Amino acid sequence: MDSEYAIETHDLTKVYLSRWQRREVRAIDGVSLQVRRGAIFGLLGPNGAGKTTFVKTLLSAVRPTHGTALIFGRDAGNPEARRPIGYLPENHRFPTYFTGAGMLDFYAALSGVEAARRKKLIPEHLELVGLGQWADVRIGKYSKGMLQRLGLAQALIHSPSILILDEPTDGVDPVGRRQIREILSRAEARGVTIFVNSHLLAEVETFCREVAILHKGKVALSGKMQELTAGKGYRLTVPQPPEALADKLRGRASSFAVRDGLVDFQFASREIANGAVDLLRAERCEIEALVPTTSTLEEVFVRTVAK
Amino acid sequence: MVTLALIRDTFREALARKIFWGLFAISALMILFFLFLLRIDIVAGGVATVSRFGGSTSVPADRVVRGVYGGIATFLYTFGMFLAVFASSGLIPSVLEPGRIELLLSKPLSRTHILLGRYAGNVLVVFLNSLFLVLGVWIILGIKTGIWSPVFLVAIATTTFIFAVLLSVVVLIGVLFESAALSTMVSVALMIMSPILAQTNLMMRLLSSEWSRDLWRVLYYIFPKVWELGRITLDAIQSGTFSGFAPIWTSALFGVVMLGAALAIFARRDF
Repeated sequence: MDSEYAIETHDLTKVYLSRWQRREVRAIDGVSLQVRRGAIFGLLGPNGAGKTTFVKTLLSAVRPTHGTALIFGRDAGNPEARRPIGYLPENHRFPTYFTGAGMLDFYAALSGVEAARRKKLIPEHLELVGLGQWADVRIGKYSKGMLQRLGLAQALIHSPSILILDEPTDGVDPVGRRQIREILSRAEARGVTIFVNSHLLAEVETFCREVAILHKGKVALSGKMQELTAGKGYRLTVPQPPEALADKLRGRASSFAVRDGLVDFQFASREIANGAVDLLRAERCEIEALVPTTSTLEEVFVRTVAK
Repeated sequence: MVTLALIRDTFREALARKIFWGLFAISALMILFFLFLLRIDIVAGGVATVSRFGGSTSVPADRVVRGVYGGIATFLYTFGMFLAVFASSGLIPSVLEPGRIELLLSKPLSRTHILLGRYAGNVLVVFLNSLFLVLGVWIILGIKTGIWSPVFLVAIATTTFIFAVLLSVVVLIGVLFESAALSTMVSVALMIMSPILAQTNLMMRLLSSEWSRDLWRVLYYIFPKVWELGRITLDAIQSGTFSGFAPIWTSALFGVVMLGAALAIFARRDF
């Protein structure tokens, strides 16, 4: 199907009913999201926000109560819709009786990769994730980070068009994380859509171009990363000014901090910052630096879920 | 390719569970016993002198053979069946574990395919064990006695069939409750109930009320006929008689209903 979107959900809702108390839990509530083909999309939210339920409805592990989920224009409940998906679950439990190569062989076969191709792809993908020498070792002996990398290889081996990754760098050391980011960057260059569900905001901020924040089952915020974390004011750094001038500057600033004999004043807008510059230059005070400041994703996240 | 992958995965997991190796080991030990420890000397007239562990007895050769066949079939139907059910009971809950089932469901195959693939793999493991034991004993006794009675091979089919029926219960309980222990208990209860329910004629005389007699009849017809099928197999092996298909098709119907229910529940479940 020729949809411009890799993932589309319309009013997606999942209600769990507690069996005995007949209490409703709305895990996701009217979630409408669109993820363009080739996008790198991050899904964020506090614990219990509905992120995992959302991902599971895309994979048809959970049946929605209401609404639709489409993968490249196909209903997510159709097994064929899942053919282009490579999925790495959070808290995965790969059967420990597999060797690394055996595990890739099994899941690649389920994804429809023929035997001859699997024979070629398995060693390639084990090398790709740095597990080439562990091919014949039972995965019961793998560390958490190794299992995570093996899981990523499993998600990639059938050349998916969309990667759905749940906490992809969980348990991986910093070097491994960098390797994973490089692998995903190469996938992005090939046009693969990457959908990441992660708690590591710094990681998502570095890697994802678009994000959505789920809160209490609803989309609280969504948009391009650049726009969401765009400039929010200016920081003026000066050597300690005279007390009277410092008072005037503190009155105009949204915050200030003293460090190493310098004072940082945070001003909400360019106009206020320029007014402060005028005051300083009128007293012939020196200016160390004047820079625009951005919100971090963490600040956006905390602001959003605090509402 | 996908079905084969699912079956192979079931095999791998079955072999990773030591209890299946126990099942194969017991079969292997029995074959070795017949191969090395049981000496059968056939003389004119077909009288066999059977020697084991230093002692010997003279009996008609075909009686020896039928006796062994009956013993093997009885072993398969009782201890062997219990071991097979016990060993298999964990194979469904394990695939439903969080972190494993989501990954399976993310693949482009239907839930029915996943569950049936696991079911078929499990039946195949038990079929191969039955084939190994029955064929092995048949060949060894055939070579030692010159008596080749193909009817003994029916035990492979009946053992596999009744296991498949009991496995459908294991699958249903596994999908509903994810409990290997409960699956085993219910299946073994059905095995134990079978000879009791089969005493229909006696119970019709002993039960005082019409509703209790009707209830007994209903239960008899619903539940799988493990005991009757064992009897049919033994009669066929030992006397060449065959007493009817009714236990087969009623047990098959039970198995189909159980498996159908398991598939329907699995198809609708959230994970």
